[in-house]
Amino acid sequence: MNNNIMSVVFASDSAEAKLNELTIHRTTASLPFCGRYRFIDFTLSNLVNSNITTIGIITKSNYSSLMDHIRMGRDWDLNRKNSGIAVFPPYVSNISRNIYRGKIEALHGILDYITNAKEDYIVLTNSNIAANIDYEEVYNAHIKANADITMITHMAKPNNCTRVIVESDENNFVKEMLIKNTKSDEISQISLNIYLMKKELLVKMIEMGYEQGHMNFERHTLQQNLDKLKIYAYLHNGYSAIIDDIQSYYGENMRMLDSKVRNDLFYRAGKIYTKTKDSVPTIYREKSTVKNSLIADGCDINGTVENSILFRGVVVEEGAVIKNSIVMEHGIIQKDAQLSYTITDKNVVITESRRIAGYDTYPVVIAKNKTV
Amino acid sequence: MLHNNKECVAMLLAGGQGTRLGVLTKDTAKPAVPFGGKYRIIDFPLSNCINSGIDTIGVLTQYQPFDLNQYIGNGQPWDLDRLNGGVYVLPPYMRGKSGEWYKGTANAIYQNIAFIDKFMPEYVLILSGDHIYKMDYSEMLAAHKKRNADCTIAVIDVPKEEASRFGIMNTNPDGSVYEFEEKPKKPKSTNASMGIYIFTWEKLKKYLVSDEEDKNSENDFGKNIIPNMLNAGEKLFAYDFKGYWKDVGTISSLWEANMDLLDTKSGLVLNDDKWKIYARSTAEPPHFTGDKAVIKNSLITEGCSILGSVTNSIISPSVVVGENAVVEDCTIMPGVIIQDGAVVKHSIIGAGAVIGSGAVVGETQKEPVAGEWQITVVGPNAIVQPKAKVPVNAMIDGGELA
Repeated sequence: MNNNIMSVVFASDSAEAKLNELTIHRTTASLPFCGRYRFIDFTLSNLVNSNITTIGIITKSNYSSLMDHIRMGRDWDLNRKNSGIAVFPPYVSNISRNIYRGKIEALHGILDYITNAKEDYIVLTNSNIAANIDYEEVYNAHIKANADITMITHMAKPNNCTRVIVESDENNFVKEMLIKNTKSDEISQISLNIYLMKKELLVKMIEMGYEQGHMNFERHTLQQNLDKLKIYAYLHNGYSAIIDDIQSYYGENMRMLDSKVRNDLFYRAGKIYTKTKDSVPTIYREKSTVKNSLIADGCDINGTVENSILFRGVVVEEGAVIKNSIVMEHGIIQKDAQLSYTITDKNVVITESRRIAGYDTYPVVIAKNKTV
Repeated sequence: MLHNNKECVAMLLAGGQGTRLGVLTKDTAKPAVPFGGKYRIIDFPLSNCINSGIDTIGVLTQYQPFDLNQYIGNGQPWDLDRLNGGVYVLPPYMRGKSGEWYKGTANAIYQNIAFIDKFMPEYVLILSGDHIYKMDYSEMLAAHKKRNADCTIAVIDVPKEEASRFGIMNTNPDGSVYEFEEKPKKPKSTNASMGIYIFTWEKLKKYLVSDEEDKNSENDFGKNIIPNMLNAGEKLFAYDFKGYWKDVGTISSLWEANMDLLDTKSGLVLNDDKWKIYARSTAEPPHFTGDKAVIKNSLITEGCSILGSVTNSIISPSVVVGENAVVEDCTIMPGVIIQDGAVVKHSIIGAGAVIGSGAVVGETQKEPVAGEWQITVVGPNAIVQPKAKVPVNAMIDGGELA
């Protein structure tokens, strides 16, 4: 196993505004997904499963939920004597007097951490990605292609959020990079915003970019140097998704109801770990009717649940009907209440006989701790 | 060394073979047998300890220890990975030129006197690894200290007709024990010993040493240590425990205790934030319930895929119940595959077993026969061939084809 790669994870990104209520209290990295996970779980588990155990996490705002989730990294086996997790809270440097404005500034702020690590290679990754990626395979492709940078890509339709669309040549090297935010139904090769390269190269690029006052890694470092850099476009052919708006959040959760998709995400190259909560098994009572749904542990179901995802500790009382919805941790759906096309955040209570309905293209979001 | 002192050290007897559980304990120690979906039996005493503030536990293993050792690991799931204290697995070992297996429950503790002495405890709590219950040992310890006892024995009130199956403590009105009767034909009281003892360590040590010198002794707490202490006039007290408690040493009682999780009247409630039972987690996604699934009055855990019908059953992680399969009144252990159209009733299916499509395992039981339920058992990793029939009360071994 390769032990020569470290990683820096960006816990936030600029697209958070489009996740509205869901990211008021948290970074995208700690956004709950598929019944019991947070997005950072996929990133951390992929890294650990690929034997990458020196991991720095750069946070920008609202990071307390992330700190609470990660703690010492024990749930990912990252509480190590050597290597392990380092979380960098937002900081104001002497020079900039501002919280970082882009990846270049952020990386410049932790340059010592990066250079002091013993590893020669580095993986940069966002944490709004759901995928099961084997970095060992990515690294081998990188070496084989003799690339400067390897960019992990997937085939998908662009949405209204910022996407890096690439065109590659017959050897899979990037010829063209387009950065846009226009929705399209045409499938394109899109960057997952995960990069693998020699640490030495990254440090050089960051120092140069910082001196020139650059902020955006994709736009300034990669796009402008496309003629000088050999960027290999690695195509991840398993399930993968970037979540940066409510539609993608809802849609990708619902795709988990497909067992093929689910098996790919949860078992492809290794298991996905998360913070354990020691919930009891879920109890189905006499009046429960559950169809085509994913149910986490600790739920208590005595109503109807269809085409939905229930997180840990959700209570569905008698007569309640939940359809095409996502109910996060400790939600209580009281007697005869009805939900359809609704996302309820943590600790939401839907009181007796209330009815809430959205549309599949525009699900209703009920914010954390609210009682309806 | 002063800082390493512990007021009370727990010693968990986990070495028994558990022969009455048959194929379920063929390759594993009884305390490592799965229970209640996501637990193992040993999770109960370990969780009780940490919830009671006892963080130093010796687990005495002897029979088929690998599964148990691996499960306990560094004790992290129970918050027992400590700098000072924590959980220790204690197999028998060679001392000087000699060494021997644990001859009995008391001998197992005798052989580990040096281990206990390292923590210089005032009290030692002796536990069994085959009981399902939630108990605050700190209250029992407080009672022991308050009464200035040499030994405190936890007792539970059992129905009169069952009393002759237990060790019975006959007590004075102040709770002091004047007589101990092992499985009496005519019980004088219904205070059954739960096999949970707190001893003042210096006192116990003395009796362990003299018991070891007695060549005729069976080196057993119930048969030797307790009677010897009583005869010598030591202060023995009974501690009344009120709550759910079950010895799951037999197939029938193991099945019954699992079913008690589904009965709100049983008193066995695990969904309790103040007294959580911890277990090693399996890292599986939420369970999936299919379009044609019908699930009533059952516990389902993560990683399962339920496409058929499940009623009054306990389903452990990563179990698959195929389309049109029927599972009724069963305990299904982790990773079992019940193929399409199979019918499984009143059974315990061991971890990793496969029930072939259309197979029929067990039959509905209305009531126990002479106190024992007629439960069909398919052992861990056993394969029941498609359309095969496994009769009531049968026990299928792993590696054996039915």
